[in-house]
Amino acid sequence: MTVSYLNKTVAADAGQTMTMARKRVTDLSSQGEPFLWALGGALAFGCIMIVGFLVMVLWNGLSTFYPKSIAAVTLTNGEVIAGEPSRVERYKLAPDIAEQLPPKARAMVAADDGFALRTLYRTGNFDLYGDDFRWVPEHNVAKREYPNGLYFAERVEWGVFIGRIQGFEAGGAKKEAGNFAESEMRAAHAEARDRFHRIRNIEKDEIGSINHYLNKERLGLRGIELRNGIASPEYAAANEKFNARAQELQIRYDELAAEAKALRAEDAAQRVYLADIGGREKVLPLSTIVRLYAANDIGFFQKIGVYLSRWAEFLTEEPREANTEGGVLPAIFGTFAMTVLLVVAVAPFGVITALYLREYAKQGRTVAIVRVAVNNLAGVPSIVYGVFGLGFFAYILGGRIDRLFFSENLPNPTFGTGGLLWASLTLALLTVPVVIVATEEALAAVPRSMREGSLACGASKWQTITRIVLPRAMPGIMTGIILAMARGAGEVAPLMLVGVVKLAPELPVDGFFPFIHLERSFMHLGFHIFDVGFQSRNSEAGKPMVFVTTMLLICLIAAMNLAAIVIRNRMKRKFKGSQF
Amino acid sequence: MTVGDETVPKKPALRRRAPTRRSVLIIDRLADWIITIGGVFVILAVFAIMAFLAQTVVPLFTGASLIGAIEGRSEAIRGHALMTKIDEYKTLAVAIGESGEVTAFHIASGKPIAAPQFDLGGTKITAFARTLSGGNVAFGFADGTVRFGEITIDVEILAPGHDMSRLETLNDHDWTDGRAIYTAIQGGQVRKSTVGLEIESPQAISPGHAIRAMDYRIGGTPERPSIAFVTVGADGVARLTRTETRKNMLTSEVTSTAQTSTLPELPADVKLAGILITEKADQIYIAEETGLVHRYDTRDLAKPTLAESISMVPEGARLTSFSFLIGEQSLVVGSSAGTVDVFFRLQRAGAATKDGYALVRAHNLEPQKFGIIAASASQRSKTFATADTAGNVWLRHSTSEQTLLKLAPKEPTKIGSLTLAPRENGVLAIADDGRYFAWDVDAPHPETTLSSIFGKVWYEGYQAPDYTWQSSSGTDSFEPKLSLVPLIFGTLKAAFYSLLFAVPIALCAAIYTSEFLHHSVRSVIKPVMEMMASLPSVVLGFIAALILAPIIETWIAAVIMAFIAVPMGLMAGAYLWQSLPSPVALRYGGTPKFILMFVAIAVFGYLCYGLGDTFEQALFAGDLKAWANGGVGTDAPFLALLLFPLAFIAAALLFERNVGKLHADWVRGLPRTQAGALSAARWIGLCLAGAAIAYAVALLMIGVGISPRGGIVNTYAQRNALVVGFAMGFAVIPIIYTIAEDALNSVPEHLRAASLACGATPWQTAISVILPTAMSGVFAAIMIGMGRAVGETMIVVMAAGNTAILDWNIFNGLRALSANIAVELPEAVKDSTLFRMLFLAALTLFVITFVINTLAELIRLRFRRRTAQL
Repeated sequence: MTVSYLNKTVAADAGQTMTMARKRVTDLSSQGEPFLWALGGALAFGCIMIVGFLVMVLWNGLSTFYPKSIAAVTLTNGEVIAGEPSRVERYKLAPDIAEQLPPKARAMVAADDGFALRTLYRTGNFDLYGDDFRWVPEHNVAKREYPNGLYFAERVEWGVFIGRIQGFEAGGAKKEAGNFAESEMRAAHAEARDRFHRIRNIEKDEIGSINHYLNKERLGLRGIELRNGIASPEYAAANEKFNARAQELQIRYDELAAEAKALRAEDAAQRVYLADIGGREKVLPLSTIVRLYAANDIGFFQKIGVYLSRWAEFLTEEPREANTEGGVLPAIFGTFAMTVLLVVAVAPFGVITALYLREYAKQGRTVAIVRVAVNNLAGVPSIVYGVFGLGFFAYILGGRIDRLFFSENLPNPTFGTGGLLWASLTLALLTVPVVIVATEEALAAVPRSMREGSLACGASKWQTITRIVLPRAMPGIMTGIILAMARGAGEVAPLMLVGVVKLAPELPVDGFFPFIHLERSFMHLGFHIFDVGFQSRNSEAGKPMVFVTTMLLICLIAAMNLAAIVIRNRMKRKFKGSQF
Repeated sequence: MTVGDETVPKKPALRRRAPTRRSVLIIDRLADWIITIGGVFVILAVFAIMAFLAQTVVPLFTGASLIGAIEGRSEAIRGHALMTKIDEYKTLAVAIGESGEVTAFHIASGKPIAAPQFDLGGTKITAFARTLSGGNVAFGFADGTVRFGEITIDVEILAPGHDMSRLETLNDHDWTDGRAIYTAIQGGQVRKSTVGLEIESPQAISPGHAIRAMDYRIGGTPERPSIAFVTVGADGVARLTRTETRKNMLTSEVTSTAQTSTLPELPADVKLAGILITEKADQIYIAEETGLVHRYDTRDLAKPTLAESISMVPEGARLTSFSFLIGEQSLVVGSSAGTVDVFFRLQRAGAATKDGYALVRAHNLEPQKFGIIAASASQRSKTFATADTAGNVWLRHSTSEQTLLKLAPKEPTKIGSLTLAPRENGVLAIADDGRYFAWDVDAPHPETTLSSIFGKVWYEGYQAPDYTWQSSSGTDSFEPKLSLVPLIFGTLKAAFYSLLFAVPIALCAAIYTSEFLHHSVRSVIKPVMEMMASLPSVVLGFIAALILAPIIETWIAAVIMAFIAVPMGLMAGAYLWQSLPSPVALRYGGTPKFILMFVAIAVFGYLCYGLGDTFEQALFAGDLKAWANGGVGTDAPFLALLLFPLAFIAAALLFERNVGKLHADWVRGLPRTQAGALSAARWIGLCLAGAAIAYAVALLMIGVGISPRGGIVNTYAQRNALVVGFAMGFAVIPIIYTIAEDALNSVPEHLRAASLACGATPWQTAISVILPTAMSGVFAAIMIGMGRAVGETMIVVMAAGNTAILDWNIFNGLRALSANIAVELPEAVKDSTLFRMLFLAALTLFVITFVINTLAELIRLRFRRRTAQL
């Protein structure tokens, strides 16, 4: 490559230096303009990828819960369908199909180079149609309108119902549509929902706690049997006690079951009569409808109300419909609990290791090798940690714990299978290099003079570390820990092996002793995405939910990263003046 | 927080030496210990991962081990036994003698146990057959009749508290009352084992001619059971009979139909060594002592044909053992020369047989020193045992071709009957002189050896040895195919395609960010990219599989076009920019130029969207998927497209060599705008020349017979390597970008300043000074990106289709090591072969990434030292 002695751009820029130039030379190759564009183009492409990705996730995530209008579409064959337009797609029609179209439609397709538009409608009514969604090509549409009175009803079962309300029944008398005020039905609905929650409370929490105690008594009895033998007097005494207690619990159970039955009977009397756009009727107990609104009638603020109430449900309720609807509270909780445990495990070990490497160990070849190894381990695939966690933590450690402390429950594993504790420890192992590296860097950044000053004043090594070194290294350590949290919260692959489940029956924290159940399997936002998006029966129905969960997870991780950056900056500022 | 320390005296003048408090010293010492122990513990824990994985994997390669051996004598053994059978718990052994008497004995002590007897009516047994599993037996008699029966070891669990005091003690956990064995088991329960028998009435097959040999199988469905059996009579006639029993569901009436036919062309004076029939009764194998095996095709029962006759033993040897393995596809053939071979039937084009199938010798197992006299196959895998005339018993596995264990009695013995325990955990050999040998063995993973995992293995029904991963299936007779090669290949394929996409973009972006971008823009872009690195891969996988994959499938032609068009668009932008007058170019050379690059990408991206269809028409005969399949169109345009970048470089070099100097001199004298226009014209000319060269070479290559189809492009699957490569780009680009940018940025500022001061342009500085200095750091960045690509799990699980195939086709899926672990490990039974194989997969992954990362780390250290010296 030729190097120009006097570059043209320099000459032109200086203006006055023309006289100094012996000869004006244009050497375009020295500018490397095409190459610069290739480099810049790559960066631009990367930015487009990232921004596009984020915009797509945010747009889909934020818009999912906003109520859309319901279109009533009359097809060219006379059929009428009603549904929320979900998305529009341009697709290529196979020539043989295009030929069979009616002339008008064929002309439409031909005008678009053989392409056609189609809209995906969310028609709901899975129990009537056997499907939630339907593609409708534009050339099949005769008429599209947005009539009033079309309701969007979210149900506890079978997903969404889209149709009209024929009437509702409360207290024995059916009221036809038009004979009652909307507020009347809303009040009845609110009452029915309250009752529904009460029934669920009885069945899940109260009867659940009876089962819990009964099971505990049974395990206690089994423990005595294992220790003393079935023929021993201890066993006989315990058995008697168990029977008495079981009787007691059974009585309580019967009471609750009777109460629940009474409520259910009451519940069944409040019904709503629905009909789809084609007039097929459906009668449902009012309590099984989660949310009901007339999509085309309500105004902007009511829509915002629905939007917010959906967000509230998403963040505070349990999932419904094989996780494709309802909330993700257990997943949020599981992610949170796991991350907290992860920090509890990773922070002390990471910091201690870094302290050892930086402050205690002799700096030599061994420490250099260890440092390479630690950096290296940050790059070991997460799934390998998962395999280790399953094999070592769950099967070996957990198996041993089970034999020592939970033998009455065998062969059912307690700790001997995946669970919250093992998942957290696995991720702690996975993220410990992050904390070690960050802490080491932070320790190295503390000036030697400060350590020497402290030691010279007579402080012990430990005092120097706790009062001089660690406070100054704290921003770096915090950054490391938060980055470890962010990495841990986003990992899914190892969790699939060590304790994450698609639907956890119980949260890891509840009101029964010892309150925190580290052995329980749990739900996780990341796995929720995998499960709903990938393994559920109807991935199209789950897609909006996955986008919202994705957005939540990304925001969570971005927030952690931002927090790391903010903490680092603030603490840096705080200690800026105190260095000497 | 206050800076200060309580041990520092506030007024030094008062006390010269402040005594250090004891607690301070104790805490200090304690901290020393805790930190040292904790630090060392974490480091050890981290290394323990590798050790633990390795330790779990080791049993895969240890073959089998002998746990215990019993050599005893039992009065229950009277002469040669037709068959022996032992129960699942290796407590009781049953033997049928040559005259049909049933004897049983307790294996540990040799104590005879009374057994019921078959009522054979005193007819002489001349032939015997049994099925592989269960206790179904058949006898052929001298009067030409056959009888079917069943011999079982019945196990009953008795409630705890069974009274053992009146029973005779056999050993510390077995008792007997003479007819049954009582064994104490877990929880105080007692297992009672007895012998059970059943026999059907005789069927006349060849009246007047004794049955010389027979075999039979029970098949059909539970509603319509069928028995198929083949007999060879003393008259030398082989007959095949199939009886089907049908039960009328309404009337409960049972009807049986029998069909008999005669097998052709069997010499009358033949010396039979064995006869086998498959479960579906579609193949019959008759072996002569000379080693000649006749295979009859009996798919049409009424018209059996001799399909082929081949010799299965070495020259001069006799065929002495002939049996099926489970699944009844593999034939184990033992000879008097000690050879043990496994044959199976394959469909072969051009086979010299009547039905198009041919028997092939698939496995050649280690020969024994003496002639083989007995073999016993397992009921659960391709494991089997062979015994030679000196009494050596070898435990073998057909698929992996390994000899698991070599067992031998203390002194050479003639073994009459050999049985492998139902759970493959023992072998029982009975000698005709009343002695027996019971070996307890442990062979947990017979199907794996280093060569069966990493080499080609010939599986049943496969045309040739192959690398295959198929770990499970519905049937019992399934042969697990555990080759890691397709999985390693899948991992490398995913990494290759994703790096092909990610490395150029990440490196170019890093160089631009570090050297050409305004620092205010940089301070925004860099953290955003860094944050992208911590994006959960499950999100990327979801987007790739459910959003990206369908879009790419619909617009595949446009996507392929974009790979060429977008770079061309950028080039076009660059040449246009070059033609701008210098004041304008200088003034807007910063951020506005960068924004123009976005515009160029957007414009040409949209162009691809619009022209994709035309492009598809022009290059791929209007249908890319059909084209990739090899259905329509020609190779030339696509090959030319692939070759275009190389051809362009060639054209540019040719130009440079021949007229480069002339051109440069000419350009020097021109004003910038004209020079820019000339340069653009040159570029267009080179593009055209490159296209011409590429097309010519493509035609030439097609002439030679090189075609991209069937290789890197083939059948289109929705979830494919292209989608994976693209999605993985999101994960890998930020990592490579961040580390490479850091490396470029840490090149000392004085080098940059010196270069610029000497008159080099920023481009020349970047390429000739900065990049070479930072090269090792940049290389380390690529390696670390590669490590991430190799280990990435969720993206490949979701977007790769998970098909374990050896195929570079970019349009097809793959199954990576990591995805395979994530998919199969949750289902694998602890300590099973699959479980350990998945641990081996994890270990392989660990080793691959360990090597890559260590290399990267060493390179990076070197880079740090070098920059420190500068």
